Amino acid sequence: MSADASGVGTTVIVAERLTQKIVSGGEQIAILDDLSLSIRAGETVAIVGASGSGKTTLLSLLAGLDSPTSGSIMLAGQPLSSLDEDGRAALRAGRVGFVFQSFQLLAGLTALENVMLPAELAGRADAESLARDTLAKVGLGTRTGHYPYQLSGGEQQRVAIARAFAAQPDILFADEPTGNLDAATGARIIDLLFQLNRERGATLVLVTHDMALAARCDRVLRLNAGRIE
Amino acid sequence: MSAPGTASTVRFALQRLRRGWTSGELRVLVLALAIAAAAAIAVGLFTDRVRRALEAGAGEQLGADAVINGRDPLPESTLVALRVTGVRLVAVTSFPSVVARVDGEDTQLATIKGVEAGYPLRGALLLAREPFGTTETAPPQPAAGEVWVDLRLWTTLGLQQGAQLQVGNRALTVSRLIVEEPGRTAGFGDLAPSLLINADELPATGLIGPGSRLQISLQLGGTPAALAAAAAVTLPPGYRYVTPENARPEIRNSMDRARSFLNIAVLATLLLAAAAVALSARQYSQRLRDEVALLKVLGARRAFIRRSLLLQVLLLGLVAGGLGALVGVGGQAVLAAVAAPVMKIALPPPGWLPLPAVLGLVLLMLAGFALPPVLASVDSAPVRVFQRAADRQRRRPWGVLAAVAAVAALLWLQAGSLKLAAVVFGGTLLTAGVLALFAWLLVRGLAGVRARGGVEWRFGLGNIARRKAAAVAQIVALGIALMALLLVTVVRHDLLASWQNKLPPETPNQFLIGILPEQVAPLQAFFAAHGRPALTPQPMVRARLTALRGAEVSADSFEDPETRRWINREFNLSWTAAFGDDSRFLEGQPWGAEARGKPWLIVDDYAVERLKLKLGDTLTLDLAGTPITLEVHAVRKIKWDSFKPNFFLVTPPGVLDAEGLSAPLQWIASFYLPREQRALLRELIREFPNVTALDLDAALNQVRGIVDRIVGALEFIFLFTLLAGVVVMMAVIEGSRADRVRETGVLRALGASRRVIRRGLIAEYAVLGGLAGAVAAFAAQALAWGLAVGVLELPYGPRPLLWLAGTLAGALIVTAAGYLSLRRVLDTPPRTVLAGGAA
Repeated sequence: MSADASGVGTTVIVAERLTQKIVSGGEQIAILDDLSLSIRAGETVAIVGASGSGKTTLLSLLAGLDSPTSGSIMLAGQPLSSLDEDGRAALRAGRVGFVFQSFQLLAGLTALENVMLPAELAGRADAESLARDTLAKVGLGTRTGHYPYQLSGGEQQRVAIARAFAAQPDILFADEPTGNLDAATGARIIDLLFQLNRERGATLVLVTHDMALAARCDRVLRLNAGRIE
Repeated sequence: MSAPGTASTVRFALQRLRRGWTSGELRVLVLALAIAAAAAIAVGLFTDRVRRALEAGAGEQLGADAVINGRDPLPESTLVALRVTGVRLVAVTSFPSVVARVDGEDTQLATIKGVEAGYPLRGALLLAREPFGTTETAPPQPAAGEVWVDLRLWTTLGLQQGAQLQVGNRALTVSRLIVEEPGRTAGFGDLAPSLLINADELPATGLIGPGSRLQISLQLGGTPAALAAAAAVTLPPGYRYVTPENARPEIRNSMDRARSFLNIAVLATLLLAAAAVALSARQYSQRLRDEVALLKVLGARRAFIRRSLLLQVLLLGLVAGGLGALVGVGGQAVLAAVAAPVMKIALPPPGWLPLPAVLGLVLLMLAGFALPPVLASVDSAPVRVFQRAADRQRRRPWGVLAAVAAVAALLWLQAGSLKLAAVVFGGTLLTAGVLALFAWLLVRGLAGVRARGGVEWRFGLGNIARRKAAAVAQIVALGIALMALLLVTVVRHDLLASWQNKLPPETPNQFLIGILPEQVAPLQAFFAAHGRPALTPQPMVRARLTALRGAEVSADSFEDPETRRWINREFNLSWTAAFGDDSRFLEGQPWGAEARGKPWLIVDDYAVERLKLKLGDTLTLDLAGTPITLEVHAVRKIKWDSFKPNFFLVTPPGVLDAEGLSAPLQWIASFYLPREQRALLRELIREFPNVTALDLDAALNQVRGIVDRIVGALEFIFLFTLLAGVVVMMAVIEGSRADRVRETGVLRALGASRRVIRRGLIAEYAVLGGLAGAVAAFAAQALAWGLAVGVLELPYGPRPLLWLAGTLAGALIVTAAGYLSLRRVLDTPPRTVLAGGAA
């Protein structure tokens, strides 16, 4: 493990000897190559690297969205390899939050319903009050009944951030959270993301191209050819 | 790729098609076309078989080169004139009467035919000694004392060779079973079994006399010249010269009617299928735009792209047409099997004629609904490969024009009549409009229900709310199909049951006709002697209308075909001094004893409608040569379902039975006879052989059997309509597939289990289908209510069970179809939501 653990707290993500290979044109290509890391609770970590360096693949494996070719991952104290697809989903529900580059709001649900979704999936009875509070925090307390198409790009990403935090997750994964926004809006969104993260004390793992954004994190992991430099 | 030849166009089109096949849109398109073709072929082949059956054996089926039909034997002078022309003549006298086994209890209403030697003039009469035994050609006519019976009478009465059959006063020996009889009036209208006896036997049966309902058919055979001369002989009024060309109107009419109904079902199927074709072609063309833009960047010319797309669409049409033809050929066999027992004609094997027509239909649907959107993708701008927004899509009016023209052409071609086409199109538009309004209101109303459920429920209903227009379209398409099915199945039975429940117990179920005046008292005594309630026969006099409001009239004076038919027959009149509660007076008042002998007339509103009568109008009638002029005194509406004898035209007593008027008079009566006392009928016909007993129960059951068959055929075609509705739904689902894949990915990333997503999907389609079913049930109920109250005059209230059944059926069908279409979406891996997609 090349990354140096800093700060205090227990380890919430541990990846050991992670390898992810795909077959392309009859040839095996290693996207991640024997990579290990650990992330402590409350830490903010940026994963950076050139296009194709394996950033998104790493994020999807750490969050249990995909299974590695080899190696093991512990997420919130649970070995992901021991869980099936639905078991991993159950672990994510309530414990893990997401912010996506393209917002990924469900068009059929209102802002409030979108934000309620993770807490509801975790079976929390207070899903609605949590969602209302969080929406108010991101400045959208008056837009709860609006559908995604009625909101601007920045507002949609704020709803997405509210959705990520509403269920009070331990770990938050963000995938290029400002990739689809203009610079000014992106800056405001990042401020909001870090502010909420501080308040909630969650672990934040984000993938970005933006070095300024990476610099605001406690630690930066630089990926190159499937390995951490 | 700058100047590719035909070979490369074909290769490219095939490659593209192979890849495109994995996308849902093309499969939906082919399915929709195949369903449309199958429904059209099934009905087309079936009606073609009936038409050819009618044409092929028309002469033989008439049993002669020509026939003269009438109610009385032809006057001798006419017979002489006919004989002079050189034609051969054979007379057949037929009439209904109840017959019975001499040694049994059972009775049966049958058509008795007295035939002269030489019957039939054309075709062969085939006989056997037992059912399915060896057949033999018949001798010229049955021997004296013998009777030949058809299979229905044989089986109904449990006959065998040598059995004794009571026909009027005579006990005759059953000597043969009729296997095939040319000229047998067959078709939906022929209800009674029949038997043949020697014409010389008729007087001895005692069944011929005043009041017998005789049908005289004089068969003519000879050279064309002789027949032409015979056709030129002037016939007395009331006789009709029938040639094979105008024979069998009952089958032709029934077939025309059945074809109209079937065509409506086919049209509904075609319209829904057209909607599915248009939707899926549009979606396919959207996907094509990226590809076309790339092809252009790589140097492909518009002509090449257009040719290749045209070829793809044509190939799809061929595949769909072939598939539809296979299903359609099977479908017509089902139709023939369902309808054949009541048609009583041997159908030739299916021909090829409708197949090119159906291929044309498929091409028409492609040209109208698929080609315009697919070819529009040729306009895709190359810049689209860099920036989709830069490729602005122009709306072209010709796409809409092509669709409108195709709809008009489909309606016109399939309906065969402008009126039917207009009615179906107008009806479909109106129904669709009403259904759409209801669906929209219901979909809006879902917002309130959404908050009250779990995440699955909210997600499912959220999808409906978001795609309101699509939801409404799906509800309308499925609603129309479900409504049609509900109408012909559940609602029809429901209406029939309402009508039957409305009839009081002991409603008359037997009619006695042809009672002679001197038999009235003995008949009443017969009923009293057997402990039956008193019989109250009504008099009946036949007369012919000769003048209306003082002006001479004949059938030719009227335009309306129904009036012409009515005038052509003799009118049945009666007299009465009192009116029961089955008469409702619309104008004027009923008369009392003071009216005796006054030349007044009370008319039913049917007569008013046919002859445009007003109070005070006069009708001059010919009663066996004596003219009598009567004045319209009042108008009443008769409740015919009281099953009591009633008449369109009645006079006070002392008019038709006045001294000096020797009008042909008979009496008729109705009474209720419990099933277990039917043996009474046998005794009755023994004592009163000329009186005809009509068993209404049996007649109604036979009519119901025929209606059930026709409706069965209709239900079968409406199943195609339902399939077309489901395909419209699948087309809409295909349009949302990309969104659904993405959303499933998000849900799974956020921690939703497969079960939660599956439940959301089921909730969405169950609600959608439930709404379609509810809307369909509501519309079917509204139509049934309109029919019941407006036409049938039945009380008819809401039927919650129908709503429940409609809603459940809709939910089940749609959930199954939706779930099957989208089950693979459930497998969407959650990693697809990240920026790199699957990477």
